[in-house]
Amino acid sequence: MESIRGRLTIWYATALIVSVAVFAVVLYFSRRTATYQDLERRIQSEADLTAGILAESYRARGVLVEKDTAGRPVLTPEVAAVLEVVPDFLLVTSRDGRLLFASPDARALTFAEFEQINTLAAPPPGPATHVTGKYRIKPNGPTLHYVVRPVPDAGDQFGAIFAGADTRTAELRLEQLLSTLVIAFVVGIVPAVLVGRWIAGRALEPVDRMITEVREITDGRSLHRRLALPMERDELGRLAETLNQMMTRLERSFAALRRFTADASHELKTPLTVVRAGVERAITRPDLPQETLAALEETLQEVNRMTELLDALLTLARADEGRADLHREPVDLRAIIEEAGETGELLAEHAGVTIEIRMPPDPLVLAVDQSRMRQLALNLIENAVKYTPRGGQVSVELGASDGRVLLTVADSGIGIAPGDLPHIFDRFWRADSARTRTGERPGTGLGLAICKWIAEAHGGTIEVQSRPGRGTTFTVALPQGDTA
Amino acid sequence: MKILVIEDDKTVGEYVRRGLDEAGYHAELVGDGDEGLRRASGKGAHYDLIVLDLRLPKLSGIDVLRTLRDRGVGLPVLVLTAQDAVDFKVQALRMGADDYVTKPFAFEELLARVEALGRRPKEIAPPTLRVAGLVFDTGSREVTRDGKRIELTPKEYAVLEYLMRHHGRVMSRTLITEYAWDYHFDPGTNIVDVVITRLRKKIDHGREPKLIHTVRGVGYVVRA
Repeated sequence: MESIRGRLTIWYATALIVSVAVFAVVLYFSRRTATYQDLERRIQSEADLTAGILAESYRARGVLVEKDTAGRPVLTPEVAAVLEVVPDFLLVTSRDGRLLFASPDARALTFAEFEQINTLAAPPPGPATHVTGKYRIKPNGPTLHYVVRPVPDAGDQFGAIFAGADTRTAELRLEQLLSTLVIAFVVGIVPAVLVGRWIAGRALEPVDRMITEVREITDGRSLHRRLALPMERDELGRLAETLNQMMTRLERSFAALRRFTADASHELKTPLTVVRAGVERAITRPDLPQETLAALEETLQEVNRMTELLDALLTLARADEGRADLHREPVDLRAIIEEAGETGELLAEHAGVTIEIRMPPDPLVLAVDQSRMRQLALNLIENAVKYTPRGGQVSVELGASDGRVLLTVADSGIGIAPGDLPHIFDRFWRADSARTRTGERPGTGLGLAICKWIAEAHGGTIEVQSRPGRGTTFTVALPQGDTA
Repeated sequence: MKILVIEDDKTVGEYVRRGLDEAGYHAELVGDGDEGLRRASGKGAHYDLIVLDLRLPKLSGIDVLRTLRDRGVGLPVLVLTAQDAVDFKVQALRMGADDYVTKPFAFEELLARVEALGRRPKEIAPPTLRVAGLVFDTGSREVTRDGKRIELTPKEYAVLEYLMRHHGRVMSRTLITEYAWDYHFDPGTNIVDVVITRLRKKIDHGREPKLIHTVRGVGYVVRA
């Protein structure tokens, strides 16, 4: 997830689902346990109640067993009528194990089923022993919980009381509980997650706003602006405050840099002017010995190199501030490339490299800073020639496609190692000095950094492709619509 | 032609003043903006042009310029600036400067701009330059040797023009490069040598006397 909002929503949803699920599971199992406990308590009390009734009846009447018409022993009808109202399965057996009474539910069972529970109703081993158990009447059917107890206070007529209840009703109720929980879970979780997402979004909305504002402020021209501080001094309020303090410091250091840039340019250029003036005056005097002239020429060259370096540094310092010092006017780019091309031919001739310049037949007019464009073209061509061995080839092509003007400078030179490619536009980056032609002085190391700035200040891009040993291609793309 | 130079740096100011004097102008140097303003707008002043440094103690160059224009002084003003930022130049031009030169400047460049602003008659730079059989017509940009026309590329033309204008004098490679290319273009190789090789093929090859001569370690000279 890319946003805090998304992550918050996921965390929140996970926490919610886990806690609700735990709650539901605990609820379900505790209900289940309670239900079964109730069931067992019920059959126990049914058995006890029956034992009580039989004991009571025995005290009142004595004999409670009589023969029915078929000669089988049965409970006397008066007592049987009382027991008739007991729900579930209730059996009363005689001491010799014969069935004396069966409740309506038990009588509703099939003969086989009935025989099975009848065998369970054997008298317990001791006079005070209660036997409890579980039994499944049908495979996969509900479980029958039962209790078998003796009837101690009713003479010796009775063997045991069997009371049992199946779990069908209980399970039905648990199933209902389960489905209610599942429905509530689904119906409840989805809106809760959506609400959570909405809340996270609302809470983070000021952050989004702040991002937009900060981006607008730090584009280089609006550093005097500040973020609007929210009324609450909450985390976001403090963040805005901190950002504002940071921007104040940034603004101050930018202002300091601007002052320094102006001061440095003046302070360094004035002595350079003085040196230059002296050298220039001396070098144009007709009567100087040749060694002196050569020394002066070297000095002049050094002054120019220093001036060039200084200009490059100042240009990049200003570029960092986001101030594009461009003087743009519509110009036919072919004229610029033609001029740079002639210089390229001279450099190529010197280096023993062939150069090919291709240009469109029609004018290619674009609003550019003419001297910066010339600098860009010259830098690229100069580089291409510099890194191409004798006998190699450099080609320069100007063209337009897809609303963009493309300047391509390709060489068949030594190329750039893949590890170096990401750094070539860095300041003061230089290729391994072993790669340059011997006897040539390296450049300032700022050339490509300036090229990149020039391309970008014109709203364009500069790209490089290179294969070691095969050559390098620089492509400058400038938007054509931008003729302002 | 009288020129007022307002420049606080004594060495630079003195260099400009002497250079202008040597070029046949009458130049005066003042060291600060107040004094410059007083002289430029004073009753007895008859300057034809002002060379003004933008960064001055007390009153800045921009302020001097603004005050001059406010007082209705319409003299051409050439601004010297250390800033090469376009917006700074634009500001100066908006304040009424006529042209600018960026420090450090080649004196040749300053002189060219002073000439242009002073609208000096052109005989200072004669339209046709001649050395032995080589004729260089700066008007029609036509070059002939012994009556035979020679075709030159723009850079060849610029290098030859510079040497012809200063014929008889040794011109340093750096000065030639500055003139023919942009100011302080440093290709790292002696590109001028390549141009000279080409010029020799076109001008001196098979002809006598040779006109283009090499001065080792310094540069070139055109002389018969």
